[in-house]
Amino acid sequence: MNGTVYYLTTVLVYGGVDAIACLGLSQQFGIAGVTNFGFIIFQAAGAYVAGVLSLGPDTMYGGFQSYVGGLHLPFPLPWVGATVAGALLSLPFTFLVGRRLRGDFAAIGLLVTAVMLNLLVTNYVPLFNGAAGLSLVPSPLQGVLNPQSATYQWGYGAVAVALAVLAFLLVNRVTESPYGRSLRAMRDNDIVAESLGVNLRARRTSALVLGGALAGLSGGVLVGFINLWDPGAWGYAESIVLFAAVIIGGLGNHKGALLGAVLVPLGFEEATRFIPSSIGPPGFIPALQWVAIGALIVVFLWSRPQGVLPERRRRLAQRLLAPAPAKAEMLATSALPTLDGGTSPLPRRNGHAPVPGANEEVALQAVGLVRSFEGVRAVDGASMAFARGRLTGLIGPNGAGKSTALAMLAGTLPVSGGKIFLFGEDITSLPAYLRARRGLVRTFQLASEFKRLTVLENLLSAVPGQRGDSLGGALLGRRYWGAEEAAHIERAETLLAGFGMGQYADSYAGDLSGGQRRLVEIMRALMAEPSVLLLDEPMAGVHPDLAQKIGRFLLQLCAGGMTIVMVEHELAMMDEFCDPVIVMAEGKVLAEGPMAALRQRSDVVEAYLVG
Amino acid sequence: MSVFVASIGYGLVAAAVLAIASVGFTLQFAVTNVLNLAFAAVMITSAYVAYVVNASGVSVWLALVPAVAAGAVLSVLLNQVVYTPFQRRRASPIALVIVSLGMTLIIEYATQAAAGPNNVSYSMAQGPEAGVGAFQLTVVQYVIIGTSLALMAGTHLLMTYTRLGKSMRATAANRDLARACGIRTARVVTATWCISGAFCGLAGVVFAMNSGSFGATSADLFLVLILAAVFLGGPGEAYGAMLGAAVIGIATEVSASVVQPDYKDVVAFVVLLAMLARRPSGILGAPT
Repeated sequence: MNGTVYYLTTVLVYGGVDAIACLGLSQQFGIAGVTNFGFIIFQAAGAYVAGVLSLGPDTMYGGFQSYVGGLHLPFPLPWVGATVAGALLSLPFTFLVGRRLRGDFAAIGLLVTAVMLNLLVTNYVPLFNGAAGLSLVPSPLQGVLNPQSATYQWGYGAVAVALAVLAFLLVNRVTESPYGRSLRAMRDNDIVAESLGVNLRARRTSALVLGGALAGLSGGVLVGFINLWDPGAWGYAESIVLFAAVIIGGLGNHKGALLGAVLVPLGFEEATRFIPSSIGPPGFIPALQWVAIGALIVVFLWSRPQGVLPERRRRLAQRLLAPAPAKAEMLATSALPTLDGGTSPLPRRNGHAPVPGANEEVALQAVGLVRSFEGVRAVDGASMAFARGRLTGLIGPNGAGKSTALAMLAGTLPVSGGKIFLFGEDITSLPAYLRARRGLVRTFQLASEFKRLTVLENLLSAVPGQRGDSLGGALLGRRYWGAEEAAHIERAETLLAGFGMGQYADSYAGDLSGGQRRLVEIMRALMAEPSVLLLDEPMAGVHPDLAQKIGRFLLQLCAGGMTIVMVEHELAMMDEFCDPVIVMAEGKVLAEGPMAALRQRSDVVEAYLVG
Repeated sequence: MSVFVASIGYGLVAAAVLAIASVGFTLQFAVTNVLNLAFAAVMITSAYVAYVVNASGVSVWLALVPAVAAGAVLSVLLNQVVYTPFQRRRASPIALVIVSLGMTLIIEYATQAAAGPNNVSYSMAQGPEAGVGAFQLTVVQYVIIGTSLALMAGTHLLMTYTRLGKSMRATAANRDLARACGIRTARVVTATWCISGAFCGLAGVVFAMNSGSFGATSADLFLVLILAAVFLGGPGEAYGAMLGAAVIGIATEVSASVVQPDYKDVVAFVVLLAMLARRPSGILGAPT
């Protein structure tokens, strides 16, 4: 076979292998935000499994290498095995990707695991044949075809590229589904995603599984071509090369991953092939190659963090938007009558409604809630009950423990003591995502929109129980979840129009003003169809006129049976909309009752003045 | 039994080397919240500086001075030129870890490009062995242990009694609040990176002395030990790093005598993963 054919087919196969691996990493890191510095070991595992599945028993070759397996399976079973191995290898890492661990700490754990596995493999001969690795790995179908022929080589290259194309279609299908959207939401802000019902551990594990499967497949394809499995080729630094490729290509854009695969792992190997090796001392050029990879990462993260091909904005709005009218007018003529104060059927509640009585159903209850931070008791034995269908206010001076109490109610913070009941059920030890799925949803004091999702996507991300919001549902495709999605978009657009935000449906949430972001957050929480809604300073930064309308809107939701708890500093809002109002000071409940009555109490007034 | 006793001795030396590095690493994390994975790369580069000076005929103990200076300068530059600008742009901790890995590749392989791929060693006398029974260490090893103990004591005095040490602790606890209280946090951060960089340079040389010969990538596995020691004690906790280094250093050497030398670092790895999974704030850190 002539040299040129050999060279070109090798480039083709390596290109395909690198592309598949980069797509796996792009899905895992660029979309789901899981920083798996051990990515390369998934490729190594796939290659090893494909190797031992296609090799015969290790005694067959005179016993010069030892390994487990040796099943001599026909093609394509070794490749299937490689894919499965990559997917299964994800499972032991599940414990690292829960909520409690900082992302960079988890990344360290995965990096160290990669270093250690490499150490074990190169030292443990019976299982992996030590540093020598495996050789004589059979080419696929080598009994039927002649692996040395040019046709076979070209065919192998074509198969590798075809698999890369299939992988691209697969990750795109997954990414453009509701499941992909919730992965991106998790990437942008995991704590908020969890508060909306996302099981972070399960989601991240599923991202590890899909990425790991692709990495495993790429390893299988590679080992069948080069017929070798060398543990030295899978050091931790090889993972960094793939990260460089995905970062340079563009995070969150699978086309970027393809471009990165061509530019970095493939391009670097090929470009430096033409540098004469006589330059510098031995090993000079390879060392500089690594320096260049490192420099590429740092320079790109600094000067163009979005990569060559940035993430594409998803335009989902279906409604043809009229030119935006003035904001106030928009609200007044809104399609959603509930935001229009004039038609509000509700009488104002201030002053004359009683404290929740025995005849009212308690939706949410906290008993003796305690939270300490390194000895400081932020919440110190607070008990409160929230009646169904009421808009309860929660006020108090700074540091009174309002937000901490809210975080414990929603499960964002674990309690140090006390119990929480939702409609009579003890939910004290339930994680936040399970509380959200039971209808207990919160918003956050600090901006918590998913920045790189559009406003419409932010809203859609909160819809519970979407058909396409699982890996399986996403794989079934748009035909499976599309109709339902259209209905959700319709609902979200109605809500957006009602809040006067219709024209921003396809804008990135991160680009909005502070007040607009608050609205996005409230609308997103409403999309979750909560039975109990906890709002942490929802009116901060919102125009007073709009705040009035939102207040009336919230009362209507309460009239419909929703229970709302609102932390707010603006006492005028409390006067007008909240009844009862709970006053907290120094971690305890100081008083409770209608706002007008509270204003008469000297201890309440004093707590505010001295607080 | 004698093997076990001997391994305790080696463990003490390993712990001494590890303690210098771990305290440096954890101080950097404490004041800047950066997991500087390029720490081991700076160590090795400093070790090479000592090697170049040593090869020109100067005693390796004198060569410590330029090596420690190199560690300090490189670390300050790393923080000032790379990490701080990224943090000013509010880059996520993950982005900084990726940047620090990029810097690892740059520093480590630039050193290799300059020094070549072969391992080198210092020309130095190890001195006679001394000890009781199976517990035998060379003079150099005693010196390493003594230096490390002195440094730990110095760290304690610095953190407890000096204005700089108190400012460092305040900056570590809450940087914005510290600045609001009139502490010049930028200076404190630079001073911390300078001190921890000096620790890093010193750790590089004693690491190289202790391993006999070294190459540009020799400290990659040592980084795992540093991380294990730091996370065992609690990231950002100087005393925690000392405790962690003592435990990890002795545990790895003892396991080398009990199991097999090739797998001695596995102990550190298991400890690190267990801490990450169960208590990422470490033994001395506050639980989350």
